[in-house]
Amino acid sequence: MAEALVRTASLSYRYPGGGADSLHDVSLELEPGQFIVLAGRSGSGKSTLLRACCGLVPHYHGGEVSGEIEVGGFDVRHHGPAELGGIVGLVAQDPETQVVSTTVRAELELPLEIRGEPATARARAVEEAALALAIPHLLDRTADSLSGGELQRVALAAALVGRPRLVLLDEPTSQLDPVAGDELIGLLRRLNEEWGLAVVCAEHRLERCLSAADRVLAMAEGRIVFDGAPQDFLRWALASDSALATPGARLFEGAGLHPPPTSVKTARKHLIRRRLASRYAAPGLGPGPDPADTSVSTGTSSLAPAPEASKPKPPSRSPALQVSDLWVELDDGRGPREVLRGVDLLLDPGERVALMGRNGAGKTTLLRAAAGLVDPVRGRISAPGGCALLAQRPGDLLIRERVADELPGSTGLRALASVGLGWAADADPRDLSGGERQRLALALVMAGRADGGLPGLVGLDEPTRGMDWARKQELAAWIAEMAHRGASVVVATHDVEFASAFAERVVLLGDGELIADGPVGEILSGGWYFATEVARILGATGAISPEQGAALLRHQLAGARDEVAAS
Amino acid sequence: MRPALSYLPRHTPLHDAGAGAAGVYLGSFVLVAFVNSSPIVLAGAGAGVAVAGLGAQAGRALSASLRWGATLGIFIVAVNGLVVQRGDTILVHGLWLPLIGSTDPSAEALAEGGVLALRIVVVLMAFAVHTACVDPDRTLRLLRPVARRSALTATLVARLVPLAVADHLRLGEAAALRGPAAAPVGRAALARRLVAGSLDRAIDVAATLELRGYARGAPGSARGGRRSRRDERFFAAGLMVAGAGIAARAAGVGAFDAYPTVAVESGWPALLVAAFIPLAAAVPLVRRPRG
Repeated sequence: MAEALVRTASLSYRYPGGGADSLHDVSLELEPGQFIVLAGRSGSGKSTLLRACCGLVPHYHGGEVSGEIEVGGFDVRHHGPAELGGIVGLVAQDPETQVVSTTVRAELELPLEIRGEPATARARAVEEAALALAIPHLLDRTADSLSGGELQRVALAAALVGRPRLVLLDEPTSQLDPVAGDELIGLLRRLNEEWGLAVVCAEHRLERCLSAADRVLAMAEGRIVFDGAPQDFLRWALASDSALATPGARLFEGAGLHPPPTSVKTARKHLIRRRLASRYAAPGLGPGPDPADTSVSTGTSSLAPAPEASKPKPPSRSPALQVSDLWVELDDGRGPREVLRGVDLLLDPGERVALMGRNGAGKTTLLRAAAGLVDPVRGRISAPGGCALLAQRPGDLLIRERVADELPGSTGLRALASVGLGWAADADPRDLSGGERQRLALALVMAGRADGGLPGLVGLDEPTRGMDWARKQELAAWIAEMAHRGASVVVATHDVEFASAFAERVVLLGDGELIADGPVGEILSGGWYFATEVARILGATGAISPEQGAALLRHQLAGARDEVAAS
Repeated sequence: MRPALSYLPRHTPLHDAGAGAAGVYLGSFVLVAFVNSSPIVLAGAGAGVAVAGLGAQAGRALSASLRWGATLGIFIVAVNGLVVQRGDTILVHGLWLPLIGSTDPSAEALAEGGVLALRIVVVLMAFAVHTACVDPDRTLRLLRPVARRSALTATLVARLVPLAVADHLRLGEAAALRGPAAAPVGRAALARRLVAGSLDRAIDVAATLELRGYARGAPGSARGGRRSRRDERFFAAGLMVAGAGIAARAAGVGAFDAYPTVAVESGWPALLVAAFIPLAAAVPLVRRPRG
């Protein structure tokens, strides 16, 4: 057996200021060349473990550490992150703070230059890292002109340029669209296979990376609660914490099929073996079973609380959002650039809409235009009932040190009560959990917009970054409630599984133009990238959630049994 | 919209120049402004920076620096006129102002303030062109082997400034998104939040620097970065401008005395120096025709 790259023994750690242990009695060994997925709910200790593996814990954060941790043979208690920098690279959650140079080229050169590598070696390493990450066109761009997704790639390239033996990634796909997310995981797998790079990737969207993994570690309350192969992990998750199970695993569980699949490919193989896959057309190649057939499809997922027919859509009310031939230009210093090009869109009150598209497709700009933050150069956009927009960082709205100071008076209290935070008036916003802070931010943007604190349009821009499935469930329930009360809710998101859970309609933008607009079941089952895992497994139009897919499979299994019995 | 005083890579001779050459070139105008008091020579230095900035497509940065310089200049002229009680040409006798009391502003005090203002405008213009055209990474790379701690601080500042600008824009937008019943965001609360956020950002940026190995120190072998074939011309232009300024000062060319009455030596030597500076500034910016 190869010598362990990371070895911990009874490692416990507590951040300064007391509180519970963030890591508790963690003992594990990570071997060279492994691809490890680190699973767990928000706050389970994943990020802390990653920071311990690169020496930021305890050297940078302070706090109390006990037990042992060695990385590449160095005792982390005595060797800091700078010494471990040649062995380990870290890509943390927020890429904005991980790019420290002005231009991308300088960022990639920095670690090599600090090591004293000659100019020719630096140039070659930079070129190769840029090619590997598909960013050579960004080399001479400034960091402040890059999008979140581009920054994420640059941060990863900077972590890899020094050829570390281990790379640690904390939710690397959280800012990436499905295409870029899949590309990134594929790239990591390639680096893992060709360079022998060990990868530890903490992720909430496990369906993206489980197929690439050799091993899964699951954490809860600072402890390692599972350590094993991906398929065993899915079995464990279905039995112990279903929020960690992938949609494919829940699909198979619901249909009574075993074992749970770790990828779309294995799931399809299983269905072919069971003579189930041939009943469905491949995505994009033709229609599957009629989704309107209620004997087949339940029409609801576990998260979508209200089927389409149950919410009010009074025809007499004016639309929640009216967009007509909308053109918007933005200027990042290189001259005006068309970000939205001739968009037409009409949203009715009470609609739940997922706004999707690649990084830079214009989703955020459309929401900002609806909120009046950017002016169109041509066309019109109006939200007659007002627009409450929660931007990508809810924390930006929290300015004061007491919740009631943010939302004073009886109107403020009503707004707090409307998001279930009536009890938190005297709390410090920093003491609230991530989900509570997000709800407080929602209360702030909605306060006083209309009677009952409800505007005609509620926009949420990438609200699920860093959220585990349980928190996404809470958010989906809240969105359903807002829509039920008559607000149209538009969520810009890259998370197709979340979109399938809350939305009834999907608007797909591509390069500033509206390229698809239709029911969620149709849009999220008709493509390769903007499709849920269940849709990619089944290839059946309309079946996008595990529950819908399981109902479909059960129906087919029952049909197959009947055929056998009849013959 | 990108801030006017932020570096934007372009393909101009000044952008291509090495940090040392660009620093010497732009620093020469600052040197001229500091060693000379002649408004004619100062105007020449200002024209030289304008030539450098326009040649490097930094018109926005120049405009911004001129706006700030004009504001600051008017303030300096006014304060100098009110505070300095010298000069023969009294403009208003016994002007009474709160805090200052009775004062006799003179034309000479205003003229002296004008020269100070002109000097500050030239310095601000040179700073603006440097910020917009010289890659800070190259400057920091130049500094790192000789002053590691200063370079670390400068790296943090260089990264934090754009982050703080972005944070400020975002916090301002977030304030605009608050509902009508939410407490309005005052400037003080916003500034407090911005500072607190910047400290958090500083910790994250410093952690990244730590991971990149900064604490191990820059080796002596680290070079100052890419050089340009035009570096010699920028060095030469900088030395010519600085030499002209120092020589003018040493020879008393364009001598300026504000008191008791304003006296400016405005003969041909001063005009020659003032004309020479922008011409020398233009030399490295001229692209030679190919072939």
